[in-house]
Amino acid sequence: MPFGQLLVEGLAIGACYGLFATAVVIIYKTSEVVNFAQGEMAMFSSFVAFHILAVYQYPFWLAFVIAMLFSILLGVLIEFLFLRPAKHPSLLGMIVITLGAEMFLMGLASWKWGAEQKFFSLPLDPSVTYEPVKGMIVTNWAIAVFAVASTIMLLLYVFFKYTRLGVAMRATQQNKHAAKIMGIRTERVFSIAWGFSSLIGAVAGMFFASRATLDPAFMMEPFLRAFAAAVLGGLMSIPGVIIGGGLMGLIENFFGYYWPSWKPIVAFIVIILVLCLRPSGLFAKHYVKKV
Amino acid sequence: MMFRKKMLVSLFAALAVLTVANITQAAQPAGFDDNEIRIGQWGPQTGPAAPWGSVARGSKLLFDIVNEEGGIHGRKIKYFIRDDMYNPAQTVAVVKELVERQGIFAFVGGVGSAPGMAVKDYLAANKIIWVSPSAADKEFTQPLNPYLFAVYPLYKDEASILAKYIVEKLKTKKIGILYQNDAYGKDGLEGAKERLATYKMSLVAEIPVEPTEKDFASQILRLKNSGAEAVLMYVSPTAAVITLKTAASVGFKPQWVSANTLSDYPLMFKITGGLWEGVITGAFGETPDSKSPLMVKYRDAAKRLTPQERWGTFYYAGILFADPIVEALKKVGRNLSTEALLKALNSIKDYQTIGPRITWTPKQHQGTDSVMIQKCGPGASYIMLQDWTTNDLATWKK
Repeated sequence: MPFGQLLVEGLAIGACYGLFATAVVIIYKTSEVVNFAQGEMAMFSSFVAFHILAVYQYPFWLAFVIAMLFSILLGVLIEFLFLRPAKHPSLLGMIVITLGAEMFLMGLASWKWGAEQKFFSLPLDPSVTYEPVKGMIVTNWAIAVFAVASTIMLLLYVFFKYTRLGVAMRATQQNKHAAKIMGIRTERVFSIAWGFSSLIGAVAGMFFASRATLDPAFMMEPFLRAFAAAVLGGLMSIPGVIIGGGLMGLIENFFGYYWPSWKPIVAFIVIILVLCLRPSGLFAKHYVKKV
Repeated sequence: MMFRKKMLVSLFAALAVLTVANITQAAQPAGFDDNEIRIGQWGPQTGPAAPWGSVARGSKLLFDIVNEEGGIHGRKIKYFIRDDMYNPAQTVAVVKELVERQGIFAFVGGVGSAPGMAVKDYLAANKIIWVSPSAADKEFTQPLNPYLFAVYPLYKDEASILAKYIVEKLKTKKIGILYQNDAYGKDGLEGAKERLATYKMSLVAEIPVEPTEKDFASQILRLKNSGAEAVLMYVSPTAAVITLKTAASVGFKPQWVSANTLSDYPLMFKITGGLWEGVITGAFGETPDSKSPLMVKYRDAAKRLTPQERWGTFYYAGILFADPIVEALKKVGRNLSTEALLKALNSIKDYQTIGPRITWTPKQHQGTDSVMIQKCGPGASYIMLQDWTTNDLATWKK
């Protein structure tokens, strides 16, 4: 068994799941809405980067910056146009609205860019690899995923713990009305959360696209896995979600090595087991809501 | 009261008229008249499988050429394309619409196993001839369906031919397979195993992948660790891209050999960022730059009539799928009927245009077991490795 290599691959894809799961968690943390359009928001922003690269032929860093700005705008707009107009929505209603946004974005991307798979790559030379230990090849892609994921994690941790806005976001999640009374502009908090989440999702989306192909449906599967990783980690805790993602990647790769036909479902089986034992995930503090 | 009665009577009258109208509509319009023969095809023009939609447009080119040359025995071909988005429920809807409203004499092509399966029995029940489903599914012709004629070589036959090529020509003893965990992939697996058994060999790794999976690291490491020097691929285009990218990142460089479903080299070359170079594939048609007279004729016509279309393998697959029905219609002559066309199709023997050689008999409607073997060269060019090859192990022929 190529233990070292499976470890590297599992952790790399796990970090990618974790990064994307973070995007899911940021929205969930502030509004308790599971955003089913998350994958398609990332897909759409990746397509924007692709479009700038392929049509305008800008250098990658510029395309990246524009796509990031676009992704923030997209997140804010979706919150503003789709969720905010809903009058006294139930949680389920909100989730259904995000499903609608998902369909809308997928249709729009198919119309604009077509369904044919596109080639998308990050400026990371795939022929350069490192072998720190024999039998353990590390690619630039994996290094970039680790670097980006840990940087974003660190920034988010500091943000939620120490900044006024971060604390305001946490307050909004815990009790929207009390937060309002305390002078927090909760609507602005939601906008910012959606923008943030869309941005992080877009970064993860580009990592996924460069590993496979870019097409309107390419984020559906990674979204499911990232969501599962988020549930595993507890949906509330950002470090928990990253560990959830890592576990997901490792379980899939080690298990999938021996039983390839079980690979797609093994992680979900583990999640069911975890949820049976710890219903709020591995790392969440269990809040019991009092009626 | 009187008014009510009147209302009731007129309501009944209206209902009666509607019912009669409905009955007359149920008897479907004929598929041809003195001036035209109506032929239909479904295919994904939008949605995830849209890249295969060019098959239906390729058939259109052939019918346009036929019409330009004066039609068939005085009748022009009127051709209908319907977009089913590769969704079987849509396929049923568009096929019914064509049959029951437009009146269709025969269908050609039609991309996809599942869409085809969804309408197979409906077409047979309505005695509508269907030539060349654009999918290799043995259930189209086994058991025999008197109205359905297949051109597409079966994946099992192709895998057997490719495995033979790997063993005998590439002299490779260690062969692995990566296959999609459904009928398509399993047929490929079966064909490869059957062939290797004749050499008293077995596959060093049999690795399934799910159609939607996006991370293949463990599967590729398994293949790498098995020591496979050649790997057969029976997967989707996206899965092939992930495979090649992952293999490159873990330093695994076998000879990749794939099914004809991935024989559109310009597309594969583009979406793999050039990694497709050197991949060997089966092929159901000649190379796009072939100098054969018929290929030259079709290619020139395409340049003239449809300059917007890329001259790709799936586009001219639409031509080679439609060729046999044109041939059979020419054989029938002026006295056209479903029975006459069936008779002509059943007597097609060793007929070849730009695809494999086809033979249909009243008892066997799987037209061929032949594929070519080609290789992707620099810049997505086509290199011919082996001309049409039949599968001597094909069980359905016996």
